[in-house]
Amino acid sequence: MSIEAGSPAPLKVVLVEDDTAFQEAFRTALAGAADLAMVGLAATVAEARALLAGPPVDVLVVDLGLPDGSGVDVIGEAHARWPGCAIMVATTFADERHVIASIEAGASGYLLKDSPLPTIAEDIRVLHGGGSPISPRIARQVLMRFRPDERTPAEGDVEGDAETAGKSAIPSLSEREKETLQLITRGFSFEEIAELMGVSRNTVLTFVRRIYAKLEVRSKTEAVFEARAYGLL
Amino acid sequence: MASSRGGAPGRSVTARPWFPWAAWAVAAIVVLGLAFAVQWRASGERLTAARLTFIDTVGYQSPPAVSPRGVDGSGRAVTLPYAPQPEWEPSVDASPQRIATRATWYALAVPPLPDDGRQLYVYIPRWKSDGSLAIYADGRLVHQSHANLQWNGSNQPIWFALPRTDASHPPRTLDIRLQHVRGIGGAFSSVWIGNYRQLAPRYYTREIFQVGLPAFSVIAFLATGVFALFVWFSRRDEPIYALFFLMSAACFLRMLHTFVGVHPLIVSDAWFGWITVNSLFWMGVTLHLFMVQLHRTRHPALTRVLLANTLAWTIATLPGLLDPTLIAAPIYINVLVLGMVVALNGLRHSLKAGSRFALWLAIWSLVTVVIGVYDLALQQNLVNIESVFLTNFTGVGLTLLCWYIMFRRYVEALETATRAKADLARRLAQREAELTASHARLREVEGRELLNQERQRLMQDMHDGLGSTLVGALRAFESDRAADLDAVGILRGCIDDLKLTIDSMEPVETDLLLLLATLRFRLQPRLEAAGVKLVWDAGEAPPLAWLDQRHALHILRILQEAIANILKHAGAREVTVAVRHEGERVLVRVRDDGRGFDPTLPSRGRGLANQRRRAEAIGAILAWEPSSRGSSLALALPVEKPPRPVS
Repeated sequence: MSIEAGSPAPLKVVLVEDDTAFQEAFRTALAGAADLAMVGLAATVAEARALLAGPPVDVLVVDLGLPDGSGVDVIGEAHARWPGCAIMVATTFADERHVIASIEAGASGYLLKDSPLPTIAEDIRVLHGGGSPISPRIARQVLMRFRPDERTPAEGDVEGDAETAGKSAIPSLSEREKETLQLITRGFSFEEIAELMGVSRNTVLTFVRRIYAKLEVRSKTEAVFEARAYGLL
Repeated sequence: MASSRGGAPGRSVTARPWFPWAAWAVAAIVVLGLAFAVQWRASGERLTAARLTFIDTVGYQSPPAVSPRGVDGSGRAVTLPYAPQPEWEPSVDASPQRIATRATWYALAVPPLPDDGRQLYVYIPRWKSDGSLAIYADGRLVHQSHANLQWNGSNQPIWFALPRTDASHPPRTLDIRLQHVRGIGGAFSSVWIGNYRQLAPRYYTREIFQVGLPAFSVIAFLATGVFALFVWFSRRDEPIYALFFLMSAACFLRMLHTFVGVHPLIVSDAWFGWITVNSLFWMGVTLHLFMVQLHRTRHPALTRVLLANTLAWTIATLPGLLDPTLIAAPIYINVLVLGMVVALNGLRHSLKAGSRFALWLAIWSLVTVVIGVYDLALQQNLVNIESVFLTNFTGVGLTLLCWYIMFRRYVEALETATRAKADLARRLAQREAELTASHARLREVEGRELLNQERQRLMQDMHDGLGSTLVGALRAFESDRAADLDAVGILRGCIDDLKLTIDSMEPVETDLLLLLATLRFRLQPRLEAAGVKLVWDAGEAPPLAWLDQRHALHILRILQEAIANILKHAGAREVTVAVRHEGERVLVRVRDDGRGFDPTLPSRGRGLANQRRRAEAIGAILAWEPSSRGSSLALALPVEKPPRPVS
């Protein structure tokens, strides 16, 4: 538990979750952290929408299995309305399907519900600070998603800024980003990867954040392609 | 419904089966009508009054250049066509030099014809000389036969232009000299004289029906016969094709004499006579065998008799033995008897077997035999010799009939093939449906089996891990020993167990490192919480083809147990997980810098036994390696698929 004394404005956090036990745990975790303030709670998609109409917050934590719909929809809307907000999925097992769908909707990380309470607070801080956790399986899944793009390597420049002026409709991963993902699938932590690649831990975190962003762009572009293919656009 | 559809393709080929027959009938009527119309328009002068004289000779002599005096006035008055009754056994010596011959002279007075400068022609429908022919106009030789003596095209009408000299045109007399075997021949039809417009229709009509049509049909028959022969070459087990060829060949040989002989033959009269007369037997025998193929009722005794009859004449009339030309009459009677036997036998068996084709052939044979009687009468000068040999036309009919039979066989074979193909497609579809159904059943069984195995695996896992831990905790809580328990630790352990179980259900696709990475991802928080540093030394690992979900869970549990033991017992500060590819195995080592332990002691009990059992189940070897500090556990996984199935 680290408290940054003297920081004037605590991070505003909103939780979208129908499970009262986790609500309680979450509240307890944030109560113990002076730099985090829980400013809102929604138990349904409808309530979450009502909150989204209000002023933006810093961090949004969303459970996927809500009684009146999917948390993925909430993530999508939140990403559109509050572009500056860091969005997290609350999940028990960090299973591939749900996490990938959430990232594609605009989430940039996930929170394991069984984490020790201090870890929850720390994860929120890390996410807001630009760090995005990624499990080996999700890393592998992301690699698989981007594999077809390897056919057009000219599109991805070295530093991976592939979204340059619509040059490529679907972004591809840079070599460094791919290397990062491959090391993650082999079990290395961010610190170890930074050392192996000879960069700082922050650079590795940047790679991961970009990868998440590309995944999101990619899924949206694909959706457009599909819609065109089906004659919807 | 389905059975009625099966026959549909056969019926749809000819909606109106009478149509082709009607077309043929109309065509025949039109041709005959045209022929009669042409004949009716024709005219010309027909000479029938003649005076007949003859001189007996030996052998053949060339005709004189001018007709001798005394021929014209003296002879007996006869009316053409004139035909003396032939003898059955005319001569004892058949050699051309010594044979008894006769020169028969017909002297004809030509009535005055208008001398309008038009070319005059002579047209003679038939001359049955059985010898040489010479024609004189006003006493001078104007036409003569120049080919063989006997087989000299006498079936073909004579048509020649009278020479136009300054002496006389039109001529006043026509003298005809026939030198022939004494006892046969010497018959002569009426003589026509006139210009081209008058006579050409008569001549060409007769030429077409008497020569052209039989020649054309028999050559075409032979051509299809050759085709059938080649069919037989590739289908040796169907003798009907060979018989078709033999029949066409015999027919061809028989009909040769109707359209050759005006010019010298390439074989002698003796051989040609042998061929012409005996080919009738050959036709009869091949026709019989052909019909047997159609009605499928063998009659070996009859066949033997027919063959013996044929062979007897074929040998007896070889050149140098009996002359078939001279004794044609008895031979032809024998042929007619044989033909009658063949026809009646064919009729009987085709009716019995219900063979349409054989029946037609038998009926046609019968018709041919009846007509053959007429032709024999014509040959024996018993009927007007100007009439036509009708068997020539039954020959044309036979050709058409055989063509039709072959055509039907071909069409039926195609229909059979079409039906067979449809049948095959149907059976194939049926078989495919069966296979699909059986495959679906197998898949279902396989699916159930897989589900069962998976349930077994999870049950076993829950029983060993999560279940026993939870039950242990429950008992502790019940017996008020809860204070001694690390409740949070137990529950975290249970959740870890659960997570690894769920992880093991996701496919790892041969990637051992991904599996180990997942383990690290799960256990890292506990290691961190315990203040133990994890050194991750993941080297290279080849893809393990055998690494499926069941294997994955065993590996995860072995390593989970190893790390749990270190955390619980070793008091270590650092744990190293190393992966190395060494030859045929992949080694996963878990080392710590703790207190170490003696694996031979039974103190660790069930945990170690479980680890060993799991390693054994996946064909791996688990070993505790000697270490200077702490402990070192090595899990050796084979690169190739383990020989034993996983329990």
